[in-house]
Amino acid sequence: MAKSMGTPHTQPPVRRFPMEDPLQLIPRVLTKLYSLWVELMYPFASLGRNVSVHPTCDWRRSRAHRIKLGNSVQIRKDAIINVVAPPEQKGEPIIVVDDNTCVGPQCQMSAKNRIHIERDVLIGNSVLIMDHDCTDEDDTPAICEQGVREGGRIRIGEGSWIGYRAAIVCTSGEIVLGRNCVVGANAVITRSFPPYSVILGNPARVIRQFDPVKNAWVLKSG
Amino acid sequence: MQHSNHRPPFEDPLDLVPWALSKLYTLWLRLTYPFAFMGCGVSVHYTFKANRVMAPRIKLGNSVTAGKDVWLNIIPEATDEVNIVIEDNCHVGPRTWISAKNQIHLERDVRLGSSVLIQDHGHVYENPDLPVSKQPAMEGGRIRIERGCQIGQGVAIVCSRGELVLGQHCVVMPNSVVIRSTPSYCVVGGNPARVLERLDSSQTNPESPSCTIGEVVKANSLDHLPQTSRTLTHHGRAE
Repeated sequence: MAKSMGTPHTQPPVRRFPMEDPLQLIPRVLTKLYSLWVELMYPFASLGRNVSVHPTCDWRRSRAHRIKLGNSVQIRKDAIINVVAPPEQKGEPIIVVDDNTCVGPQCQMSAKNRIHIERDVLIGNSVLIMDHDCTDEDDTPAICEQGVREGGRIRIGEGSWIGYRAAIVCTSGEIVLGRNCVVGANAVITRSFPPYSVILGNPARVIRQFDPVKNAWVLKSG
Repeated sequence: MQHSNHRPPFEDPLDLVPWALSKLYTLWLRLTYPFAFMGCGVSVHYTFKANRVMAPRIKLGNSVTAGKDVWLNIIPEATDEVNIVIEDNCHVGPRTWISAKNQIHLERDVRLGSSVLIQDHGHVYENPDLPVSKQPAMEGGRIRIERGCQIGQGVAIVCSRGELVLGQHCVVMPNSVVIRSTPSYCVVGGNPARVLERLDSSQTNPESPSCTIGEVVKANSLDHLPQTSRTLTHHGRAE
C-alpha cells in the first residue's frame, strides 16, 4: 500500500447532480436559508464565507460569541455544538473550526476550555468530542448535579479523518492529534497521538504510522 | 424473527403525520427512483436518503423497512454492478449508514440496530502531503451479511480489502467493530470484534425454523437453564 507514496493522488472529478430529485430542494433551500439566518443573527467570534449549517443543528445563540468558524465549514444534520460557559462571560473562542472542515451528522462537540479543529478535517457521523467530564468525587448528590470537572484542551491536526462514532474525550491536560491522523470507527481516544498515525480500538492505539526517515508507512505492534 | 407490529394503528393521532409522510415518500421513491429492484411492502422513513442517479445499483427486497435518517450511499468511484443488495424482511435501523464501493449484501431477515455503519471501503491516507479528505477512496472489499444476523446498536462493519462474510445467525454485540469474517451461529463482540460464544453447528440444523437468535442468546446468558438439544462451546477468552 506504500506504492502511492510521494506521488500526489489525482482527485477523481466529483460528479454532482444538482436537480436529480426535486424533493431534495426543500432541505437544500432550508439549509441555505438557515445558514444565512445564522450569518445575520448569530454573534460569532468570527465566521468565514460559504458556511453551510443544517437547520437541525443544535447550538445556543447566547454562546455563539465563543465559537469561531472558518471558510467553507459544513455542519450537517443533528449536530450538537455545546459551549459550557455562562453566556455573559467574555473571552477567547472556545470552539474553533478552521477552513474546509466538515462536521458530520449527529456529531456532538461539547467544550469548556478549548476544542480546536484545524483545516481540512473530515469528521464522520456521530463523533463525540468533549473536553470536560462530570465530577464524581463527591458521593452525596447525583452525578448530574455535581457540575463539570476542570477538563482539558483538544486540538485535531489538519487533514485528519475522524471515523464513525469515534469518541475523543479529554478529562485533563491536552489532547493533540497530529496532522493527517486516521481515527477508526468506534475508537475511544483519551491521549495524544503523533502526526500521520492510524489509530484504532478502545482504548485507542496506533496501528500504522508514517516514518519520515524511511519515507514509508510502518506497522506498529501493540 | 419476524418483527410484528404490536401497536394499535391510531393510538395517537399525531403519529399520523410522520406515518403519512413516510407512506408518501415511499410512494415517491417507487414512482421516481429507478431502483434495480424494489419489492412490495417496502417502508422507509421520509428522511431516508439515497442518490437517485445511483438508484439503479440498489436492490430492496420485499418488506424491507428503514428507520429515520438511513443513508444508502454509493460513492462515485463505485464499480459498475448492483452495489447494495438488501433482501426480504431486512430491517435497517435508524441513523444507519451503508456506504458501498463494491458490494454490500444483506441476506434475508437481517436486523440492523440503530447507528450501524457498513462500509466496504475507506479513504486512502498514504500520501502525507494531502489531507485525508482530499485523497481518493481505497480499493475496498465486499461485505456479505448472511441470513438471520442481528447487528447491535452502533456496530461498525468495515472491510478495506478482500471479502468479509458474517455467517448465518450471528449476533453482533453493540458498539463492536467487525473487520474480519465470522463463522455462522456465534456471538461476536468487542473492538476489534472476536467470537465470544459459539453455538455448536453440528447440533443444530440450519434449516430448522425453531433455532432462532433469541433462543441462542437466552441459552448463552442463562447458564442455569437446562441445555437440551444444543450444546454450547465457549470460545470466549478472558481479557
